[in-house]
Amino acid sequence: KMTFFPQLLTGKYRDTQTSITDSSAVYRVSTDKSANVTLIDLPGHESLRLQFLEKFKAAARAIVFVVDSVAFQREVKDVAEFLYQVLVDSTVLKNAPPLLIACNKQDVTMAKSAKLIQQQLEKELNTLRVTRSAAPTSLDSSATGGPAQLGKKGKDFDFSQLPMKVEFVECSARGSKGEEGDADFEGLEKWLAKIA
Amino acid sequence: ERGGNNSFTHEALTLKYKLDNQFELVFVVGFQKILTLTYVDKLIDDVHKEFRDKYRNEFQQKGTLGLLNGTFDFKDDFMRLLRDAEESSKVRAPTVMKTFEQSLKSQKTVKCMIETRGEKPKEKVKTKKNKGSKKEGTEAVAAPGKAPAGDKQPSAAGDREELTKDEILQKNREEFFKRHMKAGEKSSKSPKPEAQKEKGKKPRVWDLGNSNAKVLDYSNSATNGSTEACPVEEFDPDTALGDRNREPGRLYDLEYESDDEAEEEKVIQNPSKPSAKKGGLGGMFGMLKGLVGSKSLTKEDMEPVLEKMKDHLIAKNVAAEIAVQLCESVAKKLEGKVMGTFTTVTSTVKQALQEALVQILQPQRRVDVLRDVMDAQRHRRPYVVTFCGVNGVGKSTNLAKISFWLIENGFSVLIAACDTFRAGAVEQLRTHTRRLNALHPPESHGGRTMVQLYEKGYGKDAAGIAMEAISYARNQGFDVVLVDTAGRMQDNAPLMTALAKLIAVNAPDLVLFVGEALVGNEAVDQLVKFNKALADHSMAQTPRLIDGIVLTKFDTIDDKVGAAISMTYITSKPIVFVGTGQTYCDLRSLNAKAVVAALMKA
Repeated sequence: KMTFFPQLLTGKYRDTQTSITDSSAVYRVSTDKSANVTLIDLPGHESLRLQFLEKFKAAARAIVFVVDSVAFQREVKDVAEFLYQVLVDSTVLKNAPPLLIACNKQDVTMAKSAKLIQQQLEKELNTLRVTRSAAPTSLDSSATGGPAQLGKKGKDFDFSQLPMKVEFVECSARGSKGEEGDADFEGLEKWLAKIA
Repeated sequence: ERGGNNSFTHEALTLKYKLDNQFELVFVVGFQKILTLTYVDKLIDDVHKEFRDKYRNEFQQKGTLGLLNGTFDFKDDFMRLLRDAEESSKVRAPTVMKTFEQSLKSQKTVKCMIETRGEKPKEKVKTKKNKGSKKEGTEAVAAPGKAPAGDKQPSAAGDREELTKDEILQKNREEFFKRHMKAGEKSSKSPKPEAQKEKGKKPRVWDLGNSNAKVLDYSNSATNGSTEACPVEEFDPDTALGDRNREPGRLYDLEYESDDEAEEEKVIQNPSKPSAKKGGLGGMFGMLKGLVGSKSLTKEDMEPVLEKMKDHLIAKNVAAEIAVQLCESVAKKLEGKVMGTFTTVTSTVKQALQEALVQILQPQRRVDVLRDVMDAQRHRRPYVVTFCGVNGVGKSTNLAKISFWLIENGFSVLIAACDTFRAGAVEQLRTHTRRLNALHPPESHGGRTMVQLYEKGYGKDAAGIAMEAISYARNQGFDVVLVDTAGRMQDNAPLMTALAKLIAVNAPDLVLFVGEALVGNEAVDQLVKFNKALADHSMAQTPRLIDGIVLTKFDTIDDKVGAAISMTYITSKPIVFVGTGQTYCDLRSLNAKAVVAALMKA
């Protein structure tokens, strides 16, 4: 995420560190000069990601969910869990911002394709909604009203069942020519232009 | 939320860090653990200051883009600061110990022996006092019987001679008097301050520490009606007396001032007034200033609020040490931060504390038991859960509740009765099994019994029973094995060893610590000792520690929910289940926000 951020804004590549706070800046859409979007990059560390999601979810006009295509196989459960939490959040469901799932690190040979990632996520989310709804109710369940149901009951989970538009895109923040090469994220830019 | 201590050790390196909350920067210094470098703290402070001053504009004006685009060519500055720090640490070489000849003692004793008996004890005590005093040039004073030189010091020494037999307290008081008398010789001094000093002195006798003095100190209170600022005094800093003596002096200062508005010059001249270091802002203007405008938070501003919050947390049954650490980390996080307009210190601190608490309670890793059970199912092995805890917290009851929940979700459960000590433990579990089977008869689950009890009676080895139970479950195709262990005190070494052995040998998938919500400061001790025992007696590289917490008897506490915080803080593991009663349905999961709201509620 942090690699995309400066590249979208300035076109330069920067070394990154694990962040503990959010960063935000205004991004000028390349195709339409008058449109401006503010990009906010949230830290991904497991102890922080929920906290920052809480802070910014209400203001989000669209969400880009970046997935590591190489480590996906190993981390599918964590990825699906976080995505599940993003999707069932009541604020997100209410606003239904368009969601882009960016499958990053496509320049590495072992990267999974977007289609494969989509299938895996759907399967995993399917299982998750069963287990999550079966979990013991929260202490203060009267207030929250129980976890929201994701997608349609009875049918296997599909991203098309969601109230928001979901798209999958392949991209690479580093580019196949190595560190200093041009990053390949035209798909990302096009999508940003669309929603701006 | 753990920002209280500022160093971190990893393998051979130690990292010390400093937060700049104003510009949201983190400064980290890494060095080898074996080296004890004294200049690290100073270096990090210097680097912080320089970096901030140098790039202040870029931070303020350009924001994120500035950070991205700007080049921070700090290397040269850093090398220079590093060299300075190293030099300064070398300069302060350890003081060479004085040789015996050089010390005063040798000179003293010889001379003492020469003198007559009567004076001997006096001299000895005097030397003790002389060495205790911080004034330099004690050579002149050392010689007894010599005519004292014209300066004040020997006269003071001479005065002190008479006090040898008094209490040290009174001695100090006299010294204080004398010092002020000497100082008073420089300028005219009214008798009134002296009389009032007597009054101010009396409270000091009962003072035991600075905290009392602070309570008596009215100068900082914003409700103080007077609008003058305290003058900054020049006080002789060479006095051997500590802060304690200055506070009472300052008390009378304010009263004296409020009488005489016009005589501020006289006040300045009188050197008996100590420097008002804390410089309380005069009441009215200080308060307004706090509300409007950007004020950066200092530690002193946050002290009173944090104290109150700490007491509030302790009143809500949070362990005392945890409350202290929490408040410290909040202070560290907010220090130097610029507050927005119309936000008070109290609200900022409360907000930060609330965030920290939610952060602690929110599980960092997934807490989805069903998901993991499904995984284990796929691999055709049973999912093993072990319950441990001290006596009487509700292990067996909650085990029954959890097995009910699992059965409801379609998993078959084998209960292993590894509590071979407590009378009636096996019978209790047998009754639960019978009841659960009655609720979920085999017919409704495709002909297989959902719950079965595996027991071998009393007095046998718990670890052995657990191992047999797991292999039995694997053969029979049970999905989950719940292992019930005997309650044990954390101080009971042989029992802790036995528990550690059970866990190390059987390698359960989930080790749950059952703790009751009624526990107070004991929670810290219990968890620390349990974890320690598990770590010590495990042969593996990465020992199995407690993976999760079951918080029981939650219905008995109203809103004194602090035990949840204590337990999660100590272990950093999530609270997996919450028990809220004695029927099978009283099993809940934790709602972090609700608990924190209950905690922060007045």
